[in-house]
Amino acid sequence: MAQTTLQSPPEAGSARALPTRAGRPRRRRTLFAYWLIAPAVAFMVLVHLVPTAGGVLLSFKRLNTFTFARLFDAPWAGLENYRSILFDTANPLRDGFFGAVQNTAVYTFWTVSGTLAGGLAIALLLNRQMRGIRLIRTLMLTPWIVPSFVVAVLWQFMWQSDVGIVNKVLVDYTHLLSERPIWLLGENSMWAIIIPSVWRGLPFAMIFFLAGLQAMPPELHEAAAIDGAGPFRRFRYITLPLLRPLIAVQLLFGVIYAAYQFAIPYIMLGSNPGPDADLMMTLIYRQSFSNNLFGFGAAASVLLMAAMCVWVAIWYRAFKRDLEVT
Amino acid sequence: MPRRSAIVASAIALMLAPAAVAACGGDDDSASTTSSGTNAAQGEQLHKGVTLTLWTMPNSPKPKEDLQKMVEPFTAKTGVKVDVQEVGWDVQFDRIRNAAVSGEGPDITQAGTTQVPFFAALGGFLDLSDRVDEIGGADAYADGIWKTTQVEGQDGTWAIPWFTEARSIYYRKDVLEKAGIDPATAFTDLEAFRTTLQTIKEKVPDIEPFGAPGKKAFDLVHNVMPFVWDNGGAELSPDAKQATINSPEAQEGVEFMAGLIQDGLFDKSQLERDGTQVENQFKGGRLAVWIGGPWVLGSIGREEDDTWVPEARENVGVAPMPTGPGGKGYTFVGGSDLMIFKHTKHPDEAWALVKFLSEDQTQKDYAELLGMFPARLDPQQQVGQSSENHQAFFEAIQSGRTYAPIPQWGQIENAYKTRFGNILDSAAGVGKDYSEATVKAELDAAAKEADGLLAQSAG
Repeated sequence: MAQTTLQSPPEAGSARALPTRAGRPRRRRTLFAYWLIAPAVAFMVLVHLVPTAGGVLLSFKRLNTFTFARLFDAPWAGLENYRSILFDTANPLRDGFFGAVQNTAVYTFWTVSGTLAGGLAIALLLNRQMRGIRLIRTLMLTPWIVPSFVVAVLWQFMWQSDVGIVNKVLVDYTHLLSERPIWLLGENSMWAIIIPSVWRGLPFAMIFFLAGLQAMPPELHEAAAIDGAGPFRRFRYITLPLLRPLIAVQLLFGVIYAAYQFAIPYIMLGSNPGPDADLMMTLIYRQSFSNNLFGFGAAASVLLMAAMCVWVAIWYRAFKRDLEVT
Repeated sequence: MPRRSAIVASAIALMLAPAAVAACGGDDDSASTTSSGTNAAQGEQLHKGVTLTLWTMPNSPKPKEDLQKMVEPFTAKTGVKVDVQEVGWDVQFDRIRNAAVSGEGPDITQAGTTQVPFFAALGGFLDLSDRVDEIGGADAYADGIWKTTQVEGQDGTWAIPWFTEARSIYYRKDVLEKAGIDPATAFTDLEAFRTTLQTIKEKVPDIEPFGAPGKKAFDLVHNVMPFVWDNGGAELSPDAKQATINSPEAQEGVEFMAGLIQDGLFDKSQLERDGTQVENQFKGGRLAVWIGGPWVLGSIGREEDDTWVPEARENVGVAPMPTGPGGKGYTFVGGSDLMIFKHTKHPDEAWALVKFLSEDQTQKDYAELLGMFPARLDPQQQVGQSSENHQAFFEAIQSGRTYAPIPQWGQIENAYKTRFGNILDSAAGVGKDYSEATVKAELDAAAKEADGLLAQSAG
């Protein structure tokens, strides 16, 4: 869905160019184009659509310790997996599912808003001419080139309550807190995964916004300044509206990326992050691969995918106009 | 847009795709193995030049090289080559499961003792019942260890015990001395255990009395269950049909451990670490008392193990686990077994290798290298006699207990682990408010989930 919406502007562009060539040559050209994209389409169908369809099919099967080896031959369960996840209060896994939904929503909200706000703030700071600006911009990009795995391992050490640098700074050096908080357990563990996620996402958001800011015609700001608009009003009424398409695209991918986050919570908190930080992906992974409940896992995956489809639909409605402008 | 969920879906599909293929091919294989299985018992007519593939997990510092060296005499004697392949603990469960259902894999694999019933139920492994007499059968092993080769309610011997571990109490002799505690009576029963920690807390303030890992540890359940058993509780009913982890006795056991956190005797910052990290805290001199396996004893003499600080390395004492109100002290006994895949083309050679790995000398040499205990009684006894600390472990193994050998145990253990983790977290003040009702609610939830898992069926 995302791909098709983003593709529409180029199509419109090529339609304008086409009328110059008419009749047969055009059809031959189209055929040639189909041949060119055929391998890519075949590849997509094979590694993407077929497994997705397989996953959806599995969500209608009763797959457990005793049946998963039969895979597609496993007993048909119809909508049972979905019903028990969503409506069966006697299902011991239902609470865990809704807990994970809630945690994923919280995680996604804070990660995406933190990344976008922080990225924009840094981009505004770096959008000026000053000595060493290239070096600073390059340095700001470093979290982006660190693999998620390394990010998670590094932060896991930094968060440790007795020897980690975070508590050393908060308690021993600055005395901001008198008692050492435990970061990797309980309610704090949600922040322990949100903060590294934001830290890692910032550079990309920053470079995105920086590109937008630099493409912005300076005359608008100059004219507004002459009319007496202060920096805040210029930001509010000029910068922000012009950045709207960029924000839209980042929102779309940011939410999808965060909702499907796995590496950081899994590495930092283990396959079972506990009730305060268990995300959809850690839940699905754990129930499928550690507990052989592939039917549950597949149904939960499909529900997550459906939620993302809804999100894309909402997003499309909200930002449709902005995309047409680009 | 559905890219990421598609990855999950394709991962599931790709991982299991061979299963469907294997399901068709599996039957032919089993027919051929049974026919060749009969002439196995007749004698050592092994095919020279055959290469067996053996999967091992990272048991020792150089897992592949160490084991490869260990089987050299076998190759010299029989002409059967062994290709040792290392499979990490993080992936071994998936890989053995996939090998069993797909029929694509090695001839022999190591498997954790509590995993054996699950793998056996998959149907991809040889029943070794006809052959076990050649190595002395059940009598050659401690009860708790032999039980790990069986599946509840089913005939058959699906594995051969390879090496063994049990949990005992590690303590710092110097800390006990400073606190004026006699090691002989320090850990005799649960009350003494708690009093000892209390005294250490009061008299030796520069060390944490006790620490254990939380939900990040893969073996959290092994650490909690001894206290449950001591109080007369159990994980499942004797017929393994119903969860009993929410019984009052079991709750008392869990509360004993959580109570140590509440009383400040259990360093709560250890809860965010995994098992190895907490082990290193004991070796690094931050903990006075810790519960662990025999491998730590084995690492004392290793100069290159720099996780030890000298004062800890030189003052290690080992005591059996405390006894409960019932007068009996329990500990978890585990380790690893060897399983032969049904799809192997060389069942006789594979069995010969298992036999070789069960010989007294090989058992002792390999166990020593690992810092584990041999699985068989005779060599076990010999290792036990080597020192006072080793004797404590030998005794622990004899009274050791393991879980019901049912295919669903691994899942149930995961469910229990989650709930035990939540309880310890709340005792540490980072979860729900700690109270008896909280513990009860978590254990009820654990039992409910376990009952759901027990009710799974093939139909």
